[in-house]
Amino acid sequence: MVKVYATLIVFGVVFLSGRAFPENEPAGSTETQINEIKSLEQRIIELEQQQKILARKWEIEQQAAADKAKTVPVVTANSKDGFSLKSADGDFSLRFRGLIQADTRSVSGSSGSLADDTFTLRRIRPIFEGTLWKDIDFKIVPDFGGGSSTLQDAYLDFKFLPEFKVRAGRFKSPFGIERLQSSSDTLFNELGLPSNLTPNYDIGAAIFGDLYGGKLGYTVGVLNGAADNASIDSDVDNNKEVAARLFANPWKGEDSLLGGLGVGFASTYGIKDGTSSSTYLPTYKTIGQADLFKYASGVVSDGTQERYSPQLYYSYGSFGVLAEYITSSRKVSKAAASEKLTNKAWQVAASYVLTGEDATYKSVVPRKPVNFAEGSYGAWEAVARFGKLDIDNDTFPTYASSTSYPESATNIGAGLNWYWNRNVKWSLDYDRTSFNKGSTKGDRKNEHAVIGRVQLTF
Amino acid sequence: MKIKTWITQVVLGVLVLTIPGYAKEIKLLNVSYDPTRELYQAFNKEFAAYWKQKTGDTVVINQSHGGAGKQARAVIDGLEADVVTLALAYDIDAIAEKAKLFPKTWQSRLPNNSSPYTSTIVFLVRKGNPKQIKDWNDLIKPGVSIITPNPKTSGGARWNYLAAWAFALEQYKTQHPDQKDAEKSNEADAYAREFVGKIFKNVPVLDSGARGSTTTFVQREIGDVFLSWENEAFLAVKEFGADKFEIVIPSLSILAEPPVTVVDKVVDRRGTREVAQAYLEFLYTEKGQEIAAKHFYRPRLESVAKKYAEQFPKVKMITIDEVFGGWQKAQKRHFDDGGVFDQIYGIK
Repeated sequence: MVKVYATLIVFGVVFLSGRAFPENEPAGSTETQINEIKSLEQRIIELEQQQKILARKWEIEQQAAADKAKTVPVVTANSKDGFSLKSADGDFSLRFRGLIQADTRSVSGSSGSLADDTFTLRRIRPIFEGTLWKDIDFKIVPDFGGGSSTLQDAYLDFKFLPEFKVRAGRFKSPFGIERLQSSSDTLFNELGLPSNLTPNYDIGAAIFGDLYGGKLGYTVGVLNGAADNASIDSDVDNNKEVAARLFANPWKGEDSLLGGLGVGFASTYGIKDGTSSSTYLPTYKTIGQADLFKYASGVVSDGTQERYSPQLYYSYGSFGVLAEYITSSRKVSKAAASEKLTNKAWQVAASYVLTGEDATYKSVVPRKPVNFAEGSYGAWEAVARFGKLDIDNDTFPTYASSTSYPESATNIGAGLNWYWNRNVKWSLDYDRTSFNKGSTKGDRKNEHAVIGRVQLTF
Repeated sequence: MKIKTWITQVVLGVLVLTIPGYAKEIKLLNVSYDPTRELYQAFNKEFAAYWKQKTGDTVVINQSHGGAGKQARAVIDGLEADVVTLALAYDIDAIAEKAKLFPKTWQSRLPNNSSPYTSTIVFLVRKGNPKQIKDWNDLIKPGVSIITPNPKTSGGARWNYLAAWAFALEQYKTQHPDQKDAEKSNEADAYAREFVGKIFKNVPVLDSGARGSTTTFVQREIGDVFLSWENEAFLAVKEFGADKFEIVIPSLSILAEPPVTVVDKVVDRRGTREVAQAYLEFLYTEKGQEIAAKHFYRPRLESVAKKYAEQFPKVKMITIDEVFGGWQKAQKRHFDDGGVFDQIYGIK
């Protein structure tokens, strides 16, 4: 092929230069032409080799660059994952994320000590999470909200199998469905009344995993045992609490009416022996964060505590609903008297994304981020909830005063969430809570809470 | 006590529910050098069948290939190899020394200095041998284009380099019959240095591994001669046709002994020692040796070597110990940073 090519070139050059048919060609010209052709052939071969060598060198350089890229850590900064560093093989990573919630609150009618009208930084959380040796995840979340410094999450996950993982450290007790939602994903700015009966952050270890392709999730943990609506930093007694939760999404992934249905059941069981200085008893809060209920002075937790909670989350298209029912029973004592008291609460919270995006257990992701110049306004979501908290009737009057705290509270609320993009959310809620008793004049005055928030999460 | 019992029951219950579905499957990673892909593909299949029959367990062997130097560096840097099967002992020594993943005496743990097969260096030329390359002397002629990988990253390339150096020493000795131990003189050393320098002046492109050089020579059609592992040269002829390439056996070459070892700390951590050890020992069995021979590696086992004797041409071979005093010395003088190769290639 090369020879043919060379020959054609040579004959072309010879023809164009007028030497194809010379009139007075000297003897030996044929031999000269043959030599010239051979010389040109050789030249072409050499040039072809040089071209191939250059191409191969470029190819090798590209390969070397690709190989090098495999060992260079990947740095990312985007709206979904925040800021991250990842080793080339993915075995090591560090992500820096954050949550800022700046609130404005206007609360009337409550008898708590919280300032009724205020601006407040509800949550300021730098979030550090990552992976070590591929199978070990960690998460550290301090919180500087409200002017105090606390540690929220601080745990390690050992990922033996998708079906079997072990978590150790400080994390949310696996119980309440709304409590377990990320603080940036809740439908309302404050949790509903039932979350008063759930433990918050606790310290211990848990095994967890997903079975049947993620259709059934389980968690079983052994923890120090936090009181209702409380977190715990150090243990109060030598006893422990076991918490277990099963949550099933039987039709997960199916494009049907039931595809977004998840139902679960959670329970905790533990012994909690309080003292006069650490009673191991809860303080329940209203939506406006005023004190809703407290046990009387001298009352301590004195024995077993059990909690049960059937729970549900359902979504279909833009519609979502979260529902839970919780009972929390504990044995309490005051001097010689003791009683097992059971508090109960429930709520149904529903959402509808007005702009058509899917409702999920996590935050809504707007189809188009806010861009006023281009006429896109993010995602808008309307939310509503109804719930009730009942304090055991036997609590009064021995263990709490019904002239100070109500026997029950009923909450109805509505709100609007405006998702600018994955990272920014504006929200405004109104909640009305009515009470049964709780005042020397009969029922405590209704609480009206208007809470506005701007939230940044990354 | 009641809670503890309850906890135990719950934990055991979950374990019982989750663990039994996880079938036992053992995974091994064999980190090897560039041209052994086909050898270990065949060998792994045979070993997996053997292990299944022997123990009932399924073993899956993953392979990683590249220039031997690069591969050793990867293991030192944390690549979790259960076994390494590299081109030369020095690279495995480096793993023992720098990463301390197994004892420095690793080479005494298996027969034949832990080298279950051998090979040598030959020339692969284009059909008809247009440049009439018959021996090392022909490589230093002007206009001869030589393909070899980079000795800094490729074990095969280091064998090439040392074989050329040994030939030069031998040639100097032949040219000075009256000089006692002529090949050990400074003049012989300078002669070899110049000789090898001339060879590398004729190398237009350096790949990082032997398989890359095969691609350069065979598929990219660059160069007149490829200094190649014997097995790689046979494979090229087999794969791409005897009508395209010829193998030239030089008058002198070098005995290449690619060694193997279990990576102790990895297998102990992963619980794979038994199968990893058996894997390497299987290389020495008649079955393992047959597979090596079929892939053009010279078998150690006498009976298999006899069976395949016709396949392998007779080559006069020197050893690295007798000419260079072993790999440690050779590496330090020739291939470490600032060594003779850097000086030769730097002044190209």
